[in-house]
Amino acid sequence: QAEVEETLKRIQTHKGVIGTIVVNAEGIPIRTTLDNSTTVQYAGLLHQLTMKARSTVRDIDPQNDLTFLRIRSKKHEIMVAPDKEYMLIVIQNPSE
Amino acid sequence: MRVCVQILRQFCFNSATKRIVEIPDLQWEKSQLNRNVACRFFFIWFPDLTELKLPVSDPNPSLCVCVLLTLQWDTDPSVLQLQSDSELGRKMQRLGATKITQVDFLPREVVLYCKETQTPITGTEEEDDEEIIDLEPALESDQQEEVDNKETREGYPGRELTEEEKQQILKSEEFLSFFDCSIRVMERALAEQSDIFFDYSGRDLEDKDGELQGGSSLSLSRLFYDEHWSKHRVITCLDWSPQYPELLVASYNNNEDAPHEPDGVALVWNMKFKKNTPEYVFHCQSPVVAVGFARFHPNLVVGGTYSGQIVLWDNRSHRRTPVQRTPLSAAAHTHPVYCVNVVGTQNANNLITVSTDGRMCSWTQPISTPWDFMELVYNKSKPVAVTGMAFPTGDVNNYVVGSEEGTVYTASRHGSKAGICEMFEGHQGPVTGLSCHNAVGPVDFSHLFVTSSFDWTVKLWSTKHNKPLYSFEDNADYIYDVMWSPVHPALFAAVDGMGRLDLWNLNSDTEVPTASVTVEGASALNRVRWASGGKEVAVGDSEGRLWIYDAGELAVPHSEDWARFARTLMEIKANRGDAEEEGLVELTP
Repeated sequence: QAEVEETLKRIQTHKGVIGTIVVNAEGIPIRTTLDNSTTVQYAGLLHQLTMKARSTVRDIDPQNDLTFLRIRSKKHEIMVAPDKEYMLIVIQNPSE
Repeated sequence: MRVCVQILRQFCFNSATKRIVEIPDLQWEKSQLNRNVACRFFFIWFPDLTELKLPVSDPNPSLCVCVLLTLQWDTDPSVLQLQSDSELGRKMQRLGATKITQVDFLPREVVLYCKETQTPITGTEEEDDEEIIDLEPALESDQQEEVDNKETREGYPGRELTEEEKQQILKSEEFLSFFDCSIRVMERALAEQSDIFFDYSGRDLEDKDGELQGGSSLSLSRLFYDEHWSKHRVITCLDWSPQYPELLVASYNNNEDAPHEPDGVALVWNMKFKKNTPEYVFHCQSPVVAVGFARFHPNLVVGGTYSGQIVLWDNRSHRRTPVQRTPLSAAAHTHPVYCVNVVGTQNANNLITVSTDGRMCSWTQPISTPWDFMELVYNKSKPVAVTGMAFPTGDVNNYVVGSEEGTVYTASRHGSKAGICEMFEGHQGPVTGLSCHNAVGPVDFSHLFVTSSFDWTVKLWSTKHNKPLYSFEDNADYIYDVMWSPVHPALFAAVDGMGRLDLWNLNSDTEVPTASVTVEGASALNRVRWASGGKEVAVGDSEGRLWIYDAGELAVPHSEDWARFARTLMEIKANRGDAEEEGLVELTP
């Protein structure tokens, strides 16, 4: 379990990474490197978006499922690795 | 706790007529009322009504009685007495409006994430009380209001998790396996920084970095190094995956600066993605001195350790420790195992391991005891201290071993001449590496092999002659490893203790290497391995760094290379034949 911490720290020190959040199935953050209000905001919004994305994928083809979600914006890139129970969110500034 | 009830009216049920009738005057014996009774709100049921007429002072009436009553609370809530005073029972109470305490009970919260029971923070109440009515409705209602408020205040994203709960989750098995998979994907995605929005119109074209300069020289392509796992460890062995050409595994010795870390480490690196962290990290308790992908079992990595144990790691489990281990017993190996090799075909393959005491064992899956072993002994007296082993292409029976004394032997696994066959003398120091010719082409050179040694030379041999065909003496330090190119018939790579990687193309020059490069930091290079395509060569050094070099044009064979090499060989033999007349023994293959 210390490996988890170490790995998260390593991700955080990767080039351009702004923050890392681990969220559970209800959208409650479990581990985060950002401050509380930002975390809660990202977690809640991205949780909803991921649910919507997943349901979109499955509506189009019920045999399909969402594996990765990447949102590219002007300033950042948000990468979400969803799972049945948990979700890993990384926010990166790609131009750094 | 006792309930204070005021009986207003009494009814009873006549089992004969099956009717409920009101009893105007019913005296309750104190003793009866003090019994534990099952209570539902506003009903006290006694078992068994027998008769309609109920004697007033019957010692043991069994009644089934409906009573309309109110719950009255004594001013002193600690002691409440059953008010079974006769005067209350005697007179018929008039029904009047009483204070009704409204109590709302929220449905029980369904907890999704935690596996263990939680002590309820919010008081969820039971509607039924089996024994005695649990008191505190006043307190209940307060608590319920609190919970309501909490729920609405949090709104979204919902409840907060306590630190303890978070720790629980982080330790759970399923979280770890989720994390393992998704972190791998995430790291690859993080490293892929291709700028899809790049605008060529208004800017200068920058040189895209990462493009390989394919030229006619050796150029550095990648460096694999992990701060945590590679530091201060020597790379002891390398192997490329036969199934996924971008994967390679490197085994590491122990880290003397970190005695609490596992002694043996094997890391699987991925060339395809730009991320600089290993795909898989495996470790075990004893330094790993030989490692290889199990050729017909794509998920398994085999390691030979310094203690003689053979370990198997599986990349399907997220454990980093071996999934199988051989026992440390005299039936297996008790000396360091420097060679592990899977030979055979898809359906009939064996793991062959050789240790430095000359014992060779064959294993099948699952590895527990070797199904076959033999002692490699020369002339039935001297066990061979094996430092390297190689099988010629396509051969599963005959192989070549190098020893600590500097002699090389051919041997067979089965047959009438099982064991050591021939001895090849020539090196003056321990043989560190040996490689059988394995480029397949129009001419068959599979009888050739090269060896490297501490005596600063690389020697070229043929299995048909017991003296070396040629000796390459360009180096000024121990040569730690040598390997033929898998595609070019006349090309091999050698690494030495001064950090030099040499590529020798025998068709160009046999005196000096065709290309040579020294690694940064000039640390001693311990292992060299060509990738299966023959374009890249991986070298491992004594500082735990894994360098991938691109050989470019040099490594590409041309069709005439085979014929040229045949001629080169003939020249070599001719030169040698002139130099020494005696000592040349033609061996029957």
